Amino acid sequence: MIARLSPKRIVFGDHAPSLRITLTSAILALLCLVWIYPFLWMVSTSLKSNMEMFANPGLIPQDFMWDNYRRAWVEANMGRYFFNTLIVTAGSVFLVTVSTAMLGYVLGRYRFPGRTTFFVAFVATVFIPQGFTIIPVFELLSMMGLSSNLFGLTLATSGHAMVVFVVLFAGYFSQLPKELEEAARVEGITFFKIFWYVMLPLARPMVVTVVIMQVLHAWNDFLLPLVITLANPAIRTLSVGIYAFKGEQSIDWTGMSAAATISIVPVVILFVLLQRYFINGLAGAVKG
Amino acid sequence: MSTFELSRRSFLTRASAAIATTAFGSGASIAQTVPAPLNNVPEGAKFRWIDSGDQKAVFFKKFFEKYGEARGIDIIYDPLPWNEIAKVVPLGVRNNTAHDVFVLPRNFSLADAVSQGWVQPYDEFIPNIEEWKKGFPSGAFLPGINEFDGKTYGLPFTSNKRYASHLLYNKAYMDAAGFDPEAKPLTHSEFREAARKITEAGQGRYFGFIIGGSQLNRWADVVRNIGRIGGASAGGDGILDADIDLRTGEYVFDSDEYIAAIELLLAMQSDRSMFPGFINLNAPQARAYMPQGAAGMILQGPWNIPSWESQNPDFDFGLSSAPVPDSGNQGKLTISQGGAKPNTISLWSGSENGAIAGEIFHYLGTLEGQIEWANVVGAGDPPIMPEAVAKADMSPRSKQILNLFNDQIRVGPNPLVRNGEMSKVVAAYVAPDVNFARTVQGLVAGQLSGVKEQMSELKDRYNSALDAAFAKAKADGANVDRSELVFANWNPDVDFGAADY
Amino acid sequence: MRVLGTLRVHRFHYLMMLPGLVLAGMFVFYPIFAAMFYAMHDWSGFTAQKIFVGFGNFLDLFLDPIFWNAFGRSIVFLVGTVPLQMAISLVLAMVLNMQLLKLSTFFRTMIFLPVVTPVAVIGIVWTFLLSPFNGPVNGLLLDLGLVSQPIDFLGSTQTVMPSVVGVYVWKWLGITLIYWLAALQTVPDEVYDAARLDNCKGHRLAFYVVLPIIKPFALAILLISSVAALNVFPLIMSMTNGGPFFGSEVMEIFIYRTAFAADDGSIPQLGYAAAAGVLFGAVLLGLTALQALAARRTRMATAGTKA
Repeated sequence: MIARLSPKRIVFGDHAPSLRITLTSAILALLCLVWIYPFLWMVSTSLKSNMEMFANPGLIPQDFMWDNYRRAWVEANMGRYFFNTLIVTAGSVFLVTVSTAMLGYVLGRYRFPGRTTFFVAFVATVFIPQGFTIIPVFELLSMMGLSSNLFGLTLATSGHAMVVFVVLFAGYFSQLPKELEEAARVEGITFFKIFWYVMLPLARPMVVTVVIMQVLHAWNDFLLPLVITLANPAIRTLSVGIYAFKGEQSIDWTGMSAAATISIVPVVILFVLLQRYFINGLAGAVKG
Repeated sequence: MSTFELSRRSFLTRASAAIATTAFGSGASIAQTVPAPLNNVPEGAKFRWIDSGDQKAVFFKKFFEKYGEARGIDIIYDPLPWNEIAKVVPLGVRNNTAHDVFVLPRNFSLADAVSQGWVQPYDEFIPNIEEWKKGFPSGAFLPGINEFDGKTYGLPFTSNKRYASHLLYNKAYMDAAGFDPEAKPLTHSEFREAARKITEAGQGRYFGFIIGGSQLNRWADVVRNIGRIGGASAGGDGILDADIDLRTGEYVFDSDEYIAAIELLLAMQSDRSMFPGFINLNAPQARAYMPQGAAGMILQGPWNIPSWESQNPDFDFGLSSAPVPDSGNQGKLTISQGGAKPNTISLWSGSENGAIAGEIFHYLGTLEGQIEWANVVGAGDPPIMPEAVAKADMSPRSKQILNLFNDQIRVGPNPLVRNGEMSKVVAAYVAPDVNFARTVQGLVAGQLSGVKEQMSELKDRYNSALDAAFAKAKADGANVDRSELVFANWNPDVDFGAADY
Repeated sequence: MRVLGTLRVHRFHYLMMLPGLVLAGMFVFYPIFAAMFYAMHDWSGFTAQKIFVGFGNFLDLFLDPIFWNAFGRSIVFLVGTVPLQMAISLVLAMVLNMQLLKLSTFFRTMIFLPVVTPVAVIGIVWTFLLSPFNGPVNGLLLDLGLVSQPIDFLGSTQTVMPSVVGVYVWKWLGITLIYWLAALQTVPDEVYDAARLDNCKGHRLAFYVVLPIIKPFALAILLISSVAALNVFPLIMSMTNGGPFFGSEVMEIFIYRTAFAADDGSIPQLGYAAAAGVLFGAVLLGLTALQALAARRTRMATAGTKA
């Protein structure tokens, strides 16, 4: 057991140690330090007191101030914001995946009047960043009475980034062979069932990709939730909640670090656990 | 039952309190009384209130908790910083989801709010309102300011007599530098010297002067008030007239006094006496560095006093005037008559909870309520009734700063009071993109150069913007011109009363 | 009748597209037309009053140096980040793709970590790290003797854009890395074996063998990265608010500032902000179309030579 986990084995596996691998690993380790230092700093700060934060630049806190986390979770509403973000993320992932898969399927595989128009319209808008349409989106939600609730936020989060997914799905579906579908149709299976039971499972790599990209989008999204939650702080998402710390009348840096740590821990755990699917899934997007 | 929206503000307050290991010392004595019922309050109603928080939040949280419990209603209190209020309140009104009671964004006048139908009068919710109004000092309720068509729209419950850029300093550092601003206010050159010496003694651990440089209004405030103390008799605190000498109706951006104020900031910058990275700090961040000992001096407002005293009881700080000119000649600061505009609260036109608002408004306008207010909020947002100030239990520092305000501040003329149609000009006015505050920020941070040229260009920009606003208001049917901004009989050293209009 | 017939024949197709079309109609297409409508009005958003001004807002924009500066900064940001991000991540991907490198997965995870972290958190943490007062980055530079005075990275117009570009690349490098790794997986093992027989190694292997194979992926990666680089609002907002003195004000910040966040004394100008959005969108669309056209022409030209 111990032999298996020896440092040598971790770095070189079953191969003989080589200078090239040693050197490369060392350089990469240094580079990774740059990548993870901000996270170490954040976690370390989240355990310091506000006074110590300025007095002690080292990474190891003198006393572990676990109370920062309690404050962040309970009193800064991070608990609620976390829940809000979860709802918006889950809701928008469901909406986006189902609707863009169906739309992409039809656009990618069938010829019918209006198809070209739709297709061109989608491709043409890929590049329009969301900042430019935020005002009408907000107005639209206001008109519908959804401008300050979670449902409105979920809808808008879904709608904002969907164009790329439609294009990706259309591309993917158009490459799949026709035979399966035709065989199913001969057996009298309905159009919707073919899509759901035959075609969608075939598109699993793309579905995974879209799910992941939408999770990332919803979790990272900022401008849209910022604007929509302005009038109702109770529905803030994590990103907005943390940002709002900066605007306060006085600043609790360590509490903010604790809040920030809270907001990334679930995604990091999720990522570490699912990283294989994650990376293979994203790979699917580029290949498609 | 009252559920409380525990905001980040309370989080932060308690956070700092926890760090200082002393919870609010005065916590027990806060807001003991609950106003007697005046109106029929619907049981279980949900009542929302938004203001700019700070020390006010300490009072309101306690008060709302008790009051909500006593009356069986649910009160949601959102203390937010100004840049958020500027978005939240208009959006709320537009969406029909506004708070029942709100403060107006800083660049929006109550006259606009009334004409846009944002607010409703609260006369019917306060029994015998005329009698109640008599308890306020004269000039608190003014047509065109908080009264329109004989109805009352705004509640002026805190005094306007304060300014937001007096000196707060770290006593230990200042002593070491060899100055005593409490004995005699620092002159420009003394101020610069103090900043330099403190920085030198700090050796990189602390610095002479700090300012929340990313929060633009701080730059305007500091330069304007140093300039006014220097003798540039800029007008009141309105949107249009803040930097206009109301004796002549002309902008004073390029006056010697304003320029001297900017030169002082530039001098400290070139001495490297300014806190590094000040340009990216907002005001709360900058303020927080003071009790942590990272900076020696800040030009800020009285609200720091109660907050530092309760959260950082070990921090020994002193108070004084903003720097005075080397010649020693001091001008006065000018304010508008009446309550502090930023704290003036109004009742949303769509609110169905006027009865609740009426009870709370009434309470805030009684001597009892005013004293309770002063006990908690102190000099930060002093109550409007002078009697309440006298009777309140305030810290020596709070009293000291209020004395300074009495000494330095005078009531000036208000063009809106003379001619209500001026509110149309205010509404039509769009300040230049590169405004006063940004120009000062740009000059100090080194993105702009040539103080004199920049300030005279700035003056031209403001003149065009103001002329455009007048033209627009005229086209809109208002009978106004720029002579509305001239009060030839005004003497900045004495209060401008109702008889002087 | 023919219309009805078409509808009936394709009723399932249309029905299936419906949810997606409704969503896109509401949040993609409607906003574009609505923005054009607002752009023709003088409207603060504060008041109910909208005044039709035709192309007045656009004329004002053409004369507004602050708009053009923001426009320029968006382009600079795009050009500054995308090639950098693509180049660094390609090199990293090739290194991490080495089969002998057992720690590859670990390194990959580390570099991917910022990708899954909310931008607001990244912005705030980096603001502290780059701070000239007790910031670790300046601490390191001072300790190494590289500078004598702390650098105010985010506080000076000379350093603010490079700093933001750096943080952006740091944050999103992981995702481009994954794209390249995926592309590299398409290179068959035989290619490497053949190269080894020819004694082709190191940079020669990379340049003459691997790169040509993964070239087709570059366009997709470029597209995804460019779309991402235009949505830089949250990072800049949480780091600098567009400051100092407009120093990092990109288009999105310009629009947000004019539409919602008024400075002291100014009033939001929703109409003007919408016009800025429309103008920028139109230019981007034009650039995309030009690029697509150019790409098609080169493709046709190369196809021609091959034939």
